[in-house]
Amino acid sequence: MLNDKAASAARANSRFGWLRAYAADVPLLAWLLGVLVAVLLEQAMGEVLTDLVGLPKIPVLFGCMIMLKEPTLIPSALVYVAMIYGVPIILLGKLLARPANWIAARMITWPIVIPVIVHLVLLYGIMHIWSDLSLYRMLTLRLTLIAIMLTLSLNLINGYMGEFSCSHPGFMALGAYTASAVMVLFFVNDRLFGEALLPEMLGPFMFPLALVLGGIVAALGALLIAIPSFKTRGDYLAIISLAFLFIVKSLFENLQFLGGARGIKGQPDYADLPTVFCWTVLCVWIINNFVRSTLGKALNAVRDDEMAAEAMTVNTRFTKMVAFLFAAFWAGIAGGLFAHTVRFINPGTFDLKRLAELLAMVYFGGLNSVYGSIVGAVSINMLGEMLRPLALYKWIVIPLLLILVMIYRPTGLVAFKEFDVRKLMQPKRKPKNEV
Amino acid sequence: MQLFFQHLINALQWGSFYALIALGYSMVYGILMLFNFAHGDIFMVGAYIGFGVATALAALAALSALALPNWLILVLTILIAMYLTSFVGMLVERIGYRPLREAPRASAAITGLMIGIILETGNLAILGAQRIRFPSLIKTQVYDIGGVVVTNKKIMIVVVSLVLMLALNEFIKRTRWGMAMRAMAFDYVVIPLMGVPLNTIASLTFALGSALAAAAGILFAVAYPVLDPYIGITYGWKAFVAAILGGRGSVKGACLAGFLLGFIEIFVGAYLSSSLRDLIAYSIILLILVFRPHGFFGEPHSAKLRL
Amino acid sequence: MRKGLLFVIAILVLGLALSPCVWAKSKTIKVGINAPITGDIPKVGEGSKYAAEMWLEDIQAAGGLDVGGVKYMVDVVVEDNESKPESAAKAATKLITEDEVLAIVGPQASSQAIPAGEMANNYGTPMISPWSTNPDTTKDRPFVFRGCFLDPFQGPVVANFIKDEFGFKKAAVLYDIASDYPKGLAEVFKEAWEKLNGPGSVVAFESFTTKDADFSSQLTNIINSGAEVLFTPQYYNEVALIVQQAHELGFKAPIVGSDSWGSAETVKLCGEDCYGLFFSTHYAAAGATGATKEFITRYEKKYGYTPDDVGALTWDALRIVQTAIENTGKLTGNLEKDRMAVKDALAKIKEFDGITGKMTFTPDGDPIKCAVIVRISEKGEFEFYKSACP
Repeated sequence: MLNDKAASAARANSRFGWLRAYAADVPLLAWLLGVLVAVLLEQAMGEVLTDLVGLPKIPVLFGCMIMLKEPTLIPSALVYVAMIYGVPIILLGKLLARPANWIAARMITWPIVIPVIVHLVLLYGIMHIWSDLSLYRMLTLRLTLIAIMLTLSLNLINGYMGEFSCSHPGFMALGAYTASAVMVLFFVNDRLFGEALLPEMLGPFMFPLALVLGGIVAALGALLIAIPSFKTRGDYLAIISLAFLFIVKSLFENLQFLGGARGIKGQPDYADLPTVFCWTVLCVWIINNFVRSTLGKALNAVRDDEMAAEAMTVNTRFTKMVAFLFAAFWAGIAGGLFAHTVRFINPGTFDLKRLAELLAMVYFGGLNSVYGSIVGAVSINMLGEMLRPLALYKWIVIPLLLILVMIYRPTGLVAFKEFDVRKLMQPKRKPKNEV
Repeated sequence: MQLFFQHLINALQWGSFYALIALGYSMVYGILMLFNFAHGDIFMVGAYIGFGVATALAALAALSALALPNWLILVLTILIAMYLTSFVGMLVERIGYRPLREAPRASAAITGLMIGIILETGNLAILGAQRIRFPSLIKTQVYDIGGVVVTNKKIMIVVVSLVLMLALNEFIKRTRWGMAMRAMAFDYVVIPLMGVPLNTIASLTFALGSALAAAAGILFAVAYPVLDPYIGITYGWKAFVAAILGGRGSVKGACLAGFLLGFIEIFVGAYLSSSLRDLIAYSIILLILVFRPHGFFGEPHSAKLRL
Repeated sequence: MRKGLLFVIAILVLGLALSPCVWAKSKTIKVGINAPITGDIPKVGEGSKYAAEMWLEDIQAAGGLDVGGVKYMVDVVVEDNESKPESAAKAATKLITEDEVLAIVGPQASSQAIPAGEMANNYGTPMISPWSTNPDTTKDRPFVFRGCFLDPFQGPVVANFIKDEFGFKKAAVLYDIASDYPKGLAEVFKEAWEKLNGPGSVVAFESFTTKDADFSSQLTNIINSGAEVLFTPQYYNEVALIVQQAHELGFKAPIVGSDSWGSAETVKLCGEDCYGLFFSTHYAAAGATGATKEFITRYEKKYGYTPDDVGALTWDALRIVQTAIENTGKLTGNLEKDRMAVKDALAKIKEFDGITGKMTFTPDGDPIKCAVIVRISEKGEFEFYKSACP
């Protein structure tokens, strides 16, 4: 305890310490309210303010693109971002801290579901209002949410289990193809599958089923890898999964009834923001519960020392299999959502480059951490969009950044951190300064 | 029967690339227990350096009275490019691997992957998008031996790769450095305590692997003279499969697995189905791994992995 | 710290005062280019970008685009799609909603053009893909057009040409199964050839996967099948390897290709091995006349190499967009209406005289245009040999 306080005091003296100290007593609820006000403000005042500061258009991703494209507009963009996001969030967060703390303290005594739902509704509201201003934001946001699912599920294998799996794009492909095939077969008049078999109104109800089916197919695919590779410990999962990726890609190239190299297009547009958001929340929630369960702890034990784990009655093979299949299941669902967001898939979508991208997100964010997966997926996705004006050099900047992260934080930005919902939502109090 | 021999010769050539690239992976993996995912791109860089050297030498030969015969240019190109590329390999080790010695193994693999992307994009940024034709230094001669067609290039490629592999084997078996490498592969925790410099050996490993990759790159460019910045990706990953299939840190195993991969790919394409080639070829690899989970020459290792 | 804050604020205020407030709201027409600058086919992206730069130069030299008597400034926004489907969709959406372009040219490859076309069609922005041959790109999408002919036209052209020219009966095909353009064309060719010469006349139908460099097993089988001609609808980098390896394996029969051969790179990469071979394409660079020749010379002068078919097709697509914008007669300033007007004008274009041939759009948004058969001469130039119209 004492150490903690000393550390916080030291932190307060460091460069961003004042910010930390400032934010110390602001609970999550207040931040969310602050951001909500900010996005509402943008909705209401964005146009006026852009005119005022001389920007051509509302900066879409926090002004980053405009700043890189037109250096002369950097001050305007900074002012805009500060006025719309910075000032309201920082001020409101602080102002609302007291009532929010009071509410949070109240809510935390109720069943956990209620505060969770309140926070999620706020979060969704923010996303909805933010992305309402531009279709581009909306698409980026949806793909980012899907990337969170993919990263988290890959983290389960590469982080929590400590193996190196390369087959995630393959699972994604299995899920994407299954879900697309079901949906296109039943609900779309298509070149591949002919007339729609079911009336369109059933579509939204079938969609979750199709996704789950995709997840199950992906998990079955994973079983194919899991059986041979978890017999012994070693790096053989790396190449078995890599071989699996080649096999899956080659399979879909040759399956003419699934479009072959031409792929499947025209998936119905069911993967809208609420749907993707719900699935992502579900995925985070379930995976978080999984890693905090006995099985999850067993998984960590297996990673740290397989023999010791075995000695402590952990069924190592079973544990690894379950985790692997579980990860593949979520990758399959994410693949299905991906297919319905982009509304086109072909075998080339799920190649080695996708693998590199997924690995980058996992290791950037941090191993063995739900936070980390979210941070990794969001930052790599957002960076990829924000740095668009750099064109070619984007692919030098992002890898360099990742190398730096790896060198200074070898396990990623937020590794080995538990995601505790209760702790996240609880009221915050200012730490006393006297030690 | 002559068809079979024709395929066999094709496979021999194709396999020698995989084998040469796989060696680089295998050494790094054997000694440092790390995946060097930048290796495929070092192969690409080697080919490009080879292109630069060959062009420069050819220009030099044309300018001065120095009548360098083409075969000599090729030999010099291979040697100079191997030398230069080994520095690229050492640089990769210095930037991406040495700072991460104590980190989880997978983190180093990711830095390797990222360095690979930087090499690709850097190449694209510097040389532009056009593909490059590697100068044809030796005139192709086609020999028809009883219906089996062989070219002088094919013979040269297979011979040079075999020579390089043997040379590496000798180096590791007979020299002091080689002995240090083998020792390090045996135990990289204790051996450095006995006075073997870990950093030097790591650099040497990367340098040797990269030199071989450069040789593979130039031989590849001689056989398939179209270069683009992305050639390294697919072959790199496939050779990675071969390297691990061969068994941990086994030079013999990596060579054998590289050739085997080439043979499987060519023969599946030839006799079963060229469109299902990857599907069948990698299913075979999967099957092999089911029965030999530690590769050809690997030993089951229970050493606790660092993560 | 307070001093620092003041300093920052001062700079911001100064910057604000000096920032160019006016240019944003001027009369500018924006045209988006959605091209693969990075990724698997950077050369294609480069060709598209260069063609767009040249086009913009022309417009600027003319003082802007004249629509119904009003001069508009034109801006080209190039967006990279990394040759990935989802990135192409993002790039298209960004161009539509953020850059507010009037029309989009690109993406080039079908796997990017299909998802990008979806966005363009949904959000009512006309889009022309100069290079995509997949029927799905334009099907049921009134806002999406293409600039090249479809496989079902080109396949029979080549089959007929081989039949008429050489009178062969047995053909072999080698194509990339993982890439939809070669695959589609290979299948159409097979069908057309078997219609001409009876079933089983395609004696070898071999494939490989994108990025392969060794075709020896396929070629050995092809040679062994006794084929009299090899048709390979591949991109120029693979053509160089295929032709060279075929010759090294002792294949002496002619090798015929498709419009994807139509790049200066083909000869540069392939060298003497490719001399004397035929392929079908949009235009012949060596025998070019008029506007085509002018374009090629300008491009060569500016960028140092002969333009690929992508460059020429992008140029044509941009010129079509330009014509359509001019044909609208008047721009209202309401983006939605203007986009609709441009789309209608595009659909109405008749007999557009492009450098890759005359074209008229079908209701599906596909052009009807002629193909030419080109022979690679002994000097490595593309000579006009024959022309075939639908």
